Parts: sequence; C-alpha cells; structure tokens
Amino acid sequence: MATKINPGFSKELKKYGAVNMNACYNCGTCTAVCSLSTTDDSFPREMVRYSALGLEEDIKSSLKPWECYYCGECTANCPQTANPGELMMSLRRWLTAQYDWTGLSGLLYRSLSSTIAALLLVLAGVLLFANSVDFNAERMLHIGHYFEMTAIGAVLLVIFLPNLLRMWYFTIVKPKVKAPFKNYVTALSDLLVHMFTQKRYKECDGDVHFRWLEHFVLVIAYLSLLFTTVFLNWFGSQSIFVIVLGYVESFLIFVVTIDFVGSRIKKNKSLNQFSQPSDWLFVIWLLLMGVTAFLVRLFIDLGLIETQQWMYIIHLTVLAQWALIIVPFGKWTHFLYRSFAMYFLKIKSMQ
Amino acid sequence: MEERQIIEYDALVIGAGIAGGEAAINLANTGYKVLLVEKDHSLGGKMILLSKVFPTLDCAACITTPKVSEIARHNNITVFTESEVTHIAKKGDNDFVAQIMKKPRYVRVEDCTACQLCEKACPVSVRDEYQFGLIGRKAAFIPFSIANPKAAVIDIENCTLCGACEKACPTHCIDFTMETEYYELHAKTVILATGFNLFDPLEIPRFGYGQYKNVITSMQMEREIAPTRPYNTILRPGDGKVPDRIAYVLCTGSRDNTIGNPICSQICCMYSMKQAQLLMGALPMADITIYYINIRSFGKGFEEFYQQAKGMGVNFVKGKIGKITEKENGNLILRYEDIAEGVVKEAEHDMVVLSVGVKSNPSAGKIFDGNSLKLDPLQFVAQQDFLGSPAKTSIDGVFVAGTASGPMDIPDSILSAGSASSEAISYLTRYQSL
Repeated sequence: MATKINPGFSKELKKYGAVNMNACYNCGTCTAVCSLSTTDDSFPREMVRYSALGLEEDIKSSLKPWECYYCGECTANCPQTANPGELMMSLRRWLTAQYDWTGLSGLLYRSLSSTIAALLLVLAGVLLFANSVDFNAERMLHIGHYFEMTAIGAVLLVIFLPNLLRMWYFTIVKPKVKAPFKNYVTALSDLLVHMFTQKRYKECDGDVHFRWLEHFVLVIAYLSLLFTTVFLNWFGSQSIFVIVLGYVESFLIFVVTIDFVGSRIKKNKSLNQFSQPSDWLFVIWLLLMGVTAFLVRLFIDLGLIETQQWMYIIHLTVLAQWALIIVPFGKWTHFLYRSFAMYFLKIKSMQ
Repeated sequence: MEERQIIEYDALVIGAGIAGGEAAINLANTGYKVLLVEKDHSLGGKMILLSKVFPTLDCAACITTPKVSEIARHNNITVFTESEVTHIAKKGDNDFVAQIMKKPRYVRVEDCTACQLCEKACPVSVRDEYQFGLIGRKAAFIPFSIANPKAAVIDIENCTLCGACEKACPTHCIDFTMETEYYELHAKTVILATGFNLFDPLEIPRFGYGQYKNVITSMQMEREIAPTRPYNTILRPGDGKVPDRIAYVLCTGSRDNTIGNPICSQICCMYSMKQAQLLMGALPMADITIYYINIRSFGKGFEEFYQQAKGMGVNFVKGKIGKITEKENGNLILRYEDIAEGVVKEAEHDMVVLSVGVKSNPSAGKIFDGNSLKLDPLQFVAQQDFLGSPAKTSIDGVFVAGTASGPMDIPDSILSAGSASSEAISYLTRYQSL
C-alpha cells in the first residue's frame, strides 16, 4: 500500500509549536534516555522521524505522543538541539486539532488573534447577559449556576463524545486493532486510575516527583471545585462544610497555578522553555478561576456581592471563557485524551 | 622584573607534537634556525603515546620516535621543553618578539642517564598522566619509556622534598636549586602547532565515566594496546578481568551541542575501528561492538579499513548510547535505540570505551596582543584563507599547523605542517630578498 506523505507537514507543525525538529540526525539519544520508552513502545525519535517525513496518517493513528509526559530529558540531552520534547508537545496539540470535529481547536492553536477574538466574544456575551438582567447579582448568580451545568453537559455531549469517538476511530478502528468488547470493560479501571492520578508521570526520571504531586493536587482540587460549585452549589450553599471546602479547593488551585506560571516565566525547566499561547492561557485562566471563585464567595460571605456585582461578572467571564474555549478546544483536552490514550493502549496490549 | 636572556632565531614553532615537529624539521632542513617550544616534558605530542595508526596499522611509535630523534639532534633546532610562550608582539615584518618561560625540570638533562634509580628511591606515588591514570608513577620519574629527552623529571607539585632521589642519583644530575628561566626571543616568523585537547567525558555524567571503573576513554584503551602498555595485556580496570564484550561509544563529546562541541572529531570512527581490530588480535575470543551515529570513513583507504573491520567480525550497531548503568559485577548495561529497528534496547558489556572527541586548545589566542589572532567560534585558530592558503592566520607571518586549526587525523596534520612550513619559508624569503 502506498504511504501518503505531506511534504508541508513540518511547516504545519511549526504553527503548533514544533522547534528545530529537522535538525535531527537520528542518533536515538532521545529514545534511549527516555525512561518511559520501552522495547515494545519506543519514542520519541519515531515521532520525530514521522514528522520530518510528513507521515501524517502514521502520526494520527499513533498514541505515542500521549505516552510522553514531557519530563524534558530528551530535549536536555539532544545533541542536535532538535528539541524532541517540544515536538511531542506540538504533536499533542496537532492531534487534539485532528480529533476535534469542529476544527476550532486547530484554529485556536494556530492563531493567537482568533483566540483573543474568541475570548472577547465571550466577554461581550457575558456583558450582554449581565445587562439583560440589569446587573442584578442574585439573578446573575442563579443563571450562572445553570449556565455552568448546561455548559458542562453540552461540551461533554457535543464536543468530547464525538471527539473521543474520532480518536478511537483513528487509533483503534482504522489501524484494524481487533479488541473484543470484554477488553473495553476490563481496561476501564486503567482509564480512571490514569485520569485521576497520572501515575505514569511518576516513572519519569529526574526531579519530577514534586511536579507530579503539584499536578495531582491541581487535578483533584480542580475536579472537586467543579463538583462543589456545580452539584453542591457553593455560591448558593448555606452549609459551612461546603463553603470551607470550596475555599480550600480554590486556594489550592491558586497556589499550584502560581507556581506553574512562575516556572513558565523563569523557564528553568526544559518543558518551560517554549511556552505557547495555549500553555499560558491554560495556566493563567486556571489561576484566575481559582482566584475569582475564591473572591466571589468571599464577597458573598462579607455581604458585598449585592453592591459589587462586577466581581461576579469577572468570575463569570473567566468561567465562560474557560468552559466555552479552553476546556473544549484548548489544553484542557489533553487531560481527557491522555487518559483515553492510556485506556486504548491497555486495550491494545490485551490482545 | 625577572632577568630575561635575549635569544634570536629565524622561526619560533610552538608545540612539539607531530605537526610542530614536522614544521620544525622542514624549516631546519632549509637552513633556518628554529626554536621549538614544548610545554610538556617530552617531544612527540599525543602521537607518540598511540598504539598504531589507521588505516595502515603501522606502529605509531615507529613513525614518531625517529622523527623525534631527528628533531632533538638537528643542528638547526633548539628544543625548550616544559616551556611556555607567554606573549608575542609583532614589531614589523619578519620581526616578532616573544616572551618565553622555561620552567625548571630539577634535573640536568645532559647528565641524566635515565637509570631510573631516582624512581625507585622516590616514596611518592601519583597517577601517571602519560598512561592516562591507568597506573601510578613516582614524583621523580621518567615520563615514559620512549620520551625524548629521555631524562628524569621532578614533579615538584607532588614532591615532598625528602631528598631520596638526590642521594640515589649516580650522576648527581638532580638539582633542586633550578629556577624558572625567562627568555626574550627575536624571531622572524611563528608557527602555531598547539594541538588539541581531548574531550573530558566527565562532562557527560550519564556515561558514568569516573564513576564506573570499567568505563574508560579511547586514549586509555590506546595505552592498553600500545607496545609500551602498562598492564602488558588488556585488562579492565575495575577488577583486572580480561574483557570479553567490549563496547565503543562513538561521538562521545563530538557532534553534540549539549556540551558545546557540534563538530565531528574526524578521528573517532577510524581510531575506534583500529582499536577494535587490534583488540581482536590481542583477545581473539572477545566480541567488540561499535555503537555509532554515522560511520565517516572518508580518507584514503578508510572505507576499505571499515570493511576490513566488518570482515573481521567487529559488530557495528547504528544508535548512540543514551545511558550507561553498572551492574554489581562491574559489567555495564548500555541503553540505546537500535536505529535499524527503531526500538530501545539494552546490551550488557564488560568494558566500555568512550571514543572521545577533539576540542580546541584556545591557549594560542591569549599569547598575542588584543584579539589580533582570530579564533573560530570553537576557539580553533581561524584560517584566513581556508581554501587558498590554509596555513595563514589573521596575522601575516604567523602560520598554523595541525589540529590547532581544527580536528584532523595524523596524515592531514603532517600535510598541514608541510603547508605551514612552506608558507613560513616563503614569508622569510619575501622580506630577505628586499
């Protein structure tokens, strides 16, 4: 069977953040120093090679980009400074764009101006909404709560479900991996474990344990804050337990994201050398989410929210931008795709 | 200010390795008076320490020692060992003034018979740098068996001044009152043959050099297979076992941006194959594996040499070693990607040789005023007219020979020395005829 190659692929991938990958002279140092690379599953050089050759289909059907947790060892030791770590990162962005049926992911990754336009559009929408309810704090809080629930449901059904099906199609169905239904059931536990713990990240070499812990705390705090606001109605709750829980969660998000933003500014780790707009957007918005949620609840507790509605408008804007742009089309999806990649890998390995 | 003796020569040659030596002989044979300045205790540079040379497998010492004797005995050549040129000023055409510092050897070379009684008497043992740390030597020592001048040296850094050597010396040639001598040299032309530095693999901790005893450098292996070798056989340093499975890690410190040396050493493919062939002769049962990125067998007879190594059964694996770990028994696990198959593999070897690369010796740049001597970005002496007159530097009348201008093998170094000496002679005659 003839293999299709796309000679413009490396150019295309540059828009997703790939740096200098054509400098690779195929020594294999990256693969050899990678602590997650195994005889059965060797990367990242294979991906560098596929990218240089423009073997789009092979990349699209591969789960390897998701197996990398970007410890940065390959980039630090690459004798050609071809930056395999950043290439793997850009492949994850590119794959996200391939999985996304709307095409918006790709557009937002490639173009900063579209991202800004989208953020402004959401801001305008929030202001219009606030105007339509005469900036009444109570009404805004009430509708905001329902908006959150609807947004989650809609993103899940309209974006994530079809995208995950596409990912499954590209990586399992199209390469003709035969997996009985039973495998899908037994591998489910792996899906959950990887989703909530990212345990493979701990197998990375070097000083990643603290980062893994930070990451773990962030995921748990974020998911539980989501649960607290949506299902326990944090902003409307009278229960002291729920209120304190929300404070703790948002505070944790704030602490961890501050550290993440800080290390991206300092560029002290190789994974922070080449931050893309999507990376900045992700950490900063997560930070803002934590801070504004914390302040809104504080304003409620201090009885300020009736007069200081702007606080909630800011929070709602951040929330809406997060829920409508970053979660469905941005870096947040990595969380989902990576977990499912682990799931599909498990299914593949069970044959 | 110290007393400076004023001396005069036609040419100053800095560095008495194979390139500097060749250039000095060419100039001297043409009738010019040459001062050859060497910082080490012996002539011959790095070549005199090698086992054999590629691609002919000729004995390196058999080529170097006659040349070195010729230099030492030549009427037109004066040799300063343990000496450094600290400063050179160009006053005009055919007019260079150089400041030279000659450090004391604490032995009167002309009286020393190299009887080695001082070595036996000396109570101080340190690592032998001429055997690249494989064995020890004394603080009063003959540098190595084929050194020239073959005379004792007192390593004053490590000497305890016990006087035992002085008592043992039958010719009373040891003299602790020797002092550094300073010279002001007037010369008409200068040849830089300052050579290169071997890459220090301590810079790549993941190869475990310095940590795992059975990981050695190619220069250490060179000593193990040289005729004047320290163990008289091939042993691994960890436990003295005769190795069965030897691995070569090519491009250690070459073609590697992470340690700031992106260029090819031009020699590590070939000397590794040479050592592999010699090892197969010395240890007929041993398996030798060479891990490479690309085999660059570009010179005359090199490709045939490569095919010969393959034909002899040397195992060539495409893939650079990523990590080396040590097992309890001293064997080493090498992790690499087998590029032919695209998969990560681990291989066990009982000895690993790091084929270290070539780095510049930037000292020549500091001798001249300001930045008048241009260096290239990797601190080799810059060649002003690389294709037309490769021996010319940025200073008219100063020429470069051998690896001072970049990595090259022995035949190329000798060719380069020929070119530098011809340029120097033409420079000398240009102003004489005026």
